[in-house]
Amino acid sequence: MTTSEPADMATAAQSVIVTSAHEDPDPGLAPDKVGKERSRSQFADMWRRYRRNKLAMVGLVVVTALVVIAIIQPLISPYDPYDQNLINTLAPPGGDHLMGTDSLGRDLYSELLYGLRLALIVGIATMLGSLIVGVALGAIAGYRGRFWDGLIMRITDIFLAFPYLIGALLIVRTFGTGVTQVIIALVVLGWSTGARLMRGQMLALREAEYVEAARSIGASDWRIVVRHILPNAIQPVFIYSFTSIGVAVVAMASLAYLGVGVPPDTPEWGRLINQGIEQVQVAGKDYLWIYPSAAICLTTLAFAFMADGLRDSLDPKLR
Amino acid sequence: MGKFVIRRLAQAIMVVIAATILLFIGLFVLGDPFASSGDKTIPPATQEILRAKFGMDQSVPMQYLHYLGNLFTGDLGVDFDQRRPVADMLGAALPATARLALIAIILDILIGIIAGIIAAVWRYSFWDVLVTIVTTLAIGVPTFVIGIWLRQTVSGFWFFPQVPRSFTQVAPWYTEVLLPAITLAIIDAAFIARLMRGSMLEVLRMDYIRTARAKGLSERTVIMKHAFRNSVIPVVTYIGIGLGTLLGGAIITETLFQYNGVGFLLYRSILQNNNPVIMAIVTFGVLVYVFLSMLVDILYAYLDPRIRLS
Repeated sequence: MTTSEPADMATAAQSVIVTSAHEDPDPGLAPDKVGKERSRSQFADMWRRYRRNKLAMVGLVVVTALVVIAIIQPLISPYDPYDQNLINTLAPPGGDHLMGTDSLGRDLYSELLYGLRLALIVGIATMLGSLIVGVALGAIAGYRGRFWDGLIMRITDIFLAFPYLIGALLIVRTFGTGVTQVIIALVVLGWSTGARLMRGQMLALREAEYVEAARSIGASDWRIVVRHILPNAIQPVFIYSFTSIGVAVVAMASLAYLGVGVPPDTPEWGRLINQGIEQVQVAGKDYLWIYPSAAICLTTLAFAFMADGLRDSLDPKLR
Repeated sequence: MGKFVIRRLAQAIMVVIAATILLFIGLFVLGDPFASSGDKTIPPATQEILRAKFGMDQSVPMQYLHYLGNLFTGDLGVDFDQRRPVADMLGAALPATARLALIAIILDILIGIIAGIIAAVWRYSFWDVLVTIVTTLAIGVPTFVIGIWLRQTVSGFWFFPQVPRSFTQVAPWYTEVLLPAITLAIIDAAFIARLMRGSMLEVLRMDYIRTARAKGLSERTVIMKHAFRNSVIPVVTYIGIGLGTLLGGAIITETLFQYNGVGFLLYRSILQNNNPVIMAIVTFGVLVYVFLSMLVDILYAYLDPRIRLS
């Protein structure tokens, strides 16, 4: 009796595994893939968690669609967004013009498509710029410590003290209007939070055993930071900077609404809203501000959902 | 503790000085306020006279020290446009902004905290799901767009005054302040509701809550006395910083509703290149922010010894 017990238990255990494999809808946990699961990368793990979040998937689909539309905008735009037609101003939606025309007779739909392109260029360029500056300075502060840490952190304090939009407004006002100036202004005002996050990560990982190991075999500081620490430290900073895309899109629209940022005739969403509101008082054409403001909402909501999903998939505990 | 406070205070003063230097350089050195003033272009001879009049013919460090010295005596100079004392202009605009900030914060607290408590106490109920959906939307939709929608749909109806206003229109302040306050409150109320929900859920899992229930206290007492008081701390911090940001002037919202506060004044001054006013308002905003974040840090250090000893 005693000799047969281990065999029984083994078969019992096996059957448990098999039944659980049948019951578990998640293929990632099936026994024949256990080995695969162990070697699964962090990214695949994140993607598995991300996929479960329906709202985040909606965000991903919409963002992808928006990016594709922005890229092929010159091909699908029915009219030149700058093309004025003073005979056909304020035409209602429908007919030749899907969303009607504005006060200068420009096709609103084409203008919105062009505005999407501008918004995404500014949003993504601002994100990349802030990410690069923030990561570089945060990494130096966190890795070097002492003097550099003190200096860089005091500088971030100064930039954090400036109100975001007002600071951007002043910079654009000083350096002139244009998309590049807006991006620079938003990067100048936006890098500091990323730098702080990066510094925190750096401080935590600087003392990690694998960093010590790398140092012990004589790796240079550059190699340690770039090859060993950065890949492990960058995720939270990247996810923070992903939220900053939506912030930059709104900031650009707000600046343009206030009449600063882009030249007055640019088909930019904030400008379109501003011009649309002026027309409402004259002609009662509500679609002129409803369409652009809906475009801003769609973009920021999609990016917000995606950013939420990314954050949750990185660290499920944060939910 | 005393050492920590002094260190933090010195840091705050340094930040303010550095920020004002940056601002000064940006406004008076990089940008020439008289090169082209708004729509008008000023002849070179007149520009020279104006520079001498405003003390801008001195060296930049002298100008800055002069400004800093005057700042301590409460003299903010006169504005370029009509030679009004900037301190008076700021004094006229500040009460309106303070009213707006306070009403927005009160709305935030009422809506945010109540919604957060309801969502946490009846977790996964219909109300919790509703709060989650509404807060997600409110955080995703920019304040700017919410303001536009409110302005275009409800201003001029019911007792909300018409925007843009006509010169003859007289509206009592409590009707004027409503729409901008609601606009500002929506996003912060959503953040507070989320924060409150998360913090409350955490506290409700604590042992002392179980103890309170076990000794037979009513659910109402458990929630309001024990859970609420312990979960409201992060919300208070958020409200403190939020109030500081609002006092510095909500430039977009105030401009949207043509609300005569600091933000709208700043917007008009920026369009006019009215540097003394811009300098004063932004310095004020930086001061309020730095002071409040210092206060929060000191409060945290007081509550948590690990921070002040590190």
